[in-house]
Amino acid sequence: MGAYLARRGLRMMVIMLLASIAVFYSLRFAPGDPSGVVLNPLALEEVREAYREQLGLNQPIVVQYFVYVSNLARGELGTSLVTGKSITDLLASHGTNSLILGLSAVGLSYLIGLPLGVLAAAKRNSAVDQVAMGVGIVGMGMPNFWLALLLIYLFSSKLHWLPSAGCCGAKHLIMPTLVLAAEGTAVTMRMMRSSMLEHLGQDFVRTHRAKGLSEWTIVGGRVFRNALIPIVSLSGLRIGWLIGYTLVVETIFNWPGVGYLLVDAVLRRDYPVVQFFSLLLVFTVVVANLLADLVYGLVDPRIRHA
Amino acid sequence: MAIAPSRRVVWKEAEGLPPVRASRLTGAWRRLARNKLALVGSLVALLYVLIGLIGPFFAPYDYAEQDLLAASQPPLSDGHLLGTDQLGRDMLSRLVVGIRISLLVGFGVTLISLVVGTLAGAVAAYYRGWVDTFISGVVELTWGFPLILIAVILAGAMGPGLPATVLAVGLINWAGFARIVRGEVLHLREAEYVQAARALGVGDRRILARHVMPNVLAPALVMASYYVALAIIVEAGLSFIGMGAQPPLPSLGVMIAEGRNYMLLNHWVTTIPGLAIVAVVLGLNLLGDGLRDILDPRLRSG
Repeated sequence: MGAYLARRGLRMMVIMLLASIAVFYSLRFAPGDPSGVVLNPLALEEVREAYREQLGLNQPIVVQYFVYVSNLARGELGTSLVTGKSITDLLASHGTNSLILGLSAVGLSYLIGLPLGVLAAAKRNSAVDQVAMGVGIVGMGMPNFWLALLLIYLFSSKLHWLPSAGCCGAKHLIMPTLVLAAEGTAVTMRMMRSSMLEHLGQDFVRTHRAKGLSEWTIVGGRVFRNALIPIVSLSGLRIGWLIGYTLVVETIFNWPGVGYLLVDAVLRRDYPVVQFFSLLLVFTVVVANLLADLVYGLVDPRIRHA
Repeated sequence: MAIAPSRRVVWKEAEGLPPVRASRLTGAWRRLARNKLALVGSLVALLYVLIGLIGPFFAPYDYAEQDLLAASQPPLSDGHLLGTDQLGRDMLSRLVVGIRISLLVGFGVTLISLVVGTLAGAVAAYYRGWVDTFISGVVELTWGFPLILIAVILAGAMGPGLPATVLAVGLINWAGFARIVRGEVLHLREAEYVQAARALGVGDRRILARHVMPNVLAPALVMASYYVALAIIVEAGLSFIGMGAQPPLPSLGVMIAEGRNYMLLNHWVTTIPGLAIVAVVLGLNLLGDGLRDILDPRLRSG
């Protein structure tokens, strides 16, 4: 286990190093430079040159990269070119908002998806099953931004129940959470259903039935625990995708989280912000995958990390 | 001895059957036709491919041509079958170009990643050793990485636009195919019937073409139909938030974004492209489910 952890840790560091180099280099070659963003379009070339010098942009890229990494290591994350806010502050406020939204969406999708999947499998081909499969197909086929528009149209424009965008009250959280959770709910439900069905057909279930255990104990206890394993093994991937969807959903609802910040920074060419938050999200995805692999080993004793 | 006559009957019938290859194909088609949802899905996919290929040639107007005097016409109005948007641009002409963009990103990029991924997976499984270690390492890193995140980072580097979206889809999705093909080829090269063919002196190329590829392509095709749907959703979503196709290019996502502020008055400007996306994505997912049931019984759910 220790050797496994060390190997995975090392691999993670290599990934982050490569990712940071890729992001850093590609942003340096990006069309347009920060002086075009911040300064008046009519600014003199000397002023632009001075500005570039101030940011250290006239040094070789390798030097710039090492300056950036050493600053990062010392916790100096820099400031936004557009708003002048420090990235540390942005991380605190936007990071918290993203965590709130992300956790409520994950929670909601498991809270609905798991029981619905179990129920659909236990009552196979019943009305419940049909409804669940319908929810699954629609939930996976409905693009999340389109679902968002429909919800806004219904709950904000027509019924005036919920605010169409903004932050940070409980009412503001409802629609973004629903939209972000929709696809995850559908996927979880479908996976849980097929995983349950697979296990319900196995010999140990027949043994339990023969022993006279109640159907409730068998389905809810024995089968459920085994059927959870594929859900856990895919949760790392799911979290990665959730982070991707966060970019879209936060932008639609103007929810001031990391995703909203990153998309906005890309549109405004705010390079320090793009650089830091791209790397942060890549890092989060990599860590989520690692954690899911470790948990997988814990839930399923057959899988031992040698 | 009661079994013997009936056996002879079966044997006789088997002699009368068409060659195995033809029956396998017609069997697949028959199962597709019986699977109603899959049939609907494949018809929808076919319809979109047709619209995307030839639709823009029959478009009544230029997709960017504005006519402010005829702005916000509802569907079925004079000269505009699907109405016009707030700038008087013909919705039908914009829709067919939007569908073409979706298909380009969906089918086009998926086809390229299918080819690249299949080759990479087959090479890794065939040569093994360090080639396999290298390819598998890259695949493990790439596979399942959130497409939207990569696309936004690329948009940051290249400037927002379709090239960044296309590149992101291609960079990520080949790995999914490589992963599944590698596993399948590794499994097949040890399979008894492949060993048997080899023992009979069948050449490598013939083994690959007759015994390995058909079995590899089945799961890859199932995956492809989901990946096309995924790419279409991602492209539309990115275009919607301004990271993908840029106006006036009428990507379905751009059309929805532009109509968003007029949703209460002229809902069709958002509804029509929205329904177009939902229909094609549903169709492709149904097709994928159906293909999985038909081609790969091991993956069959429930």
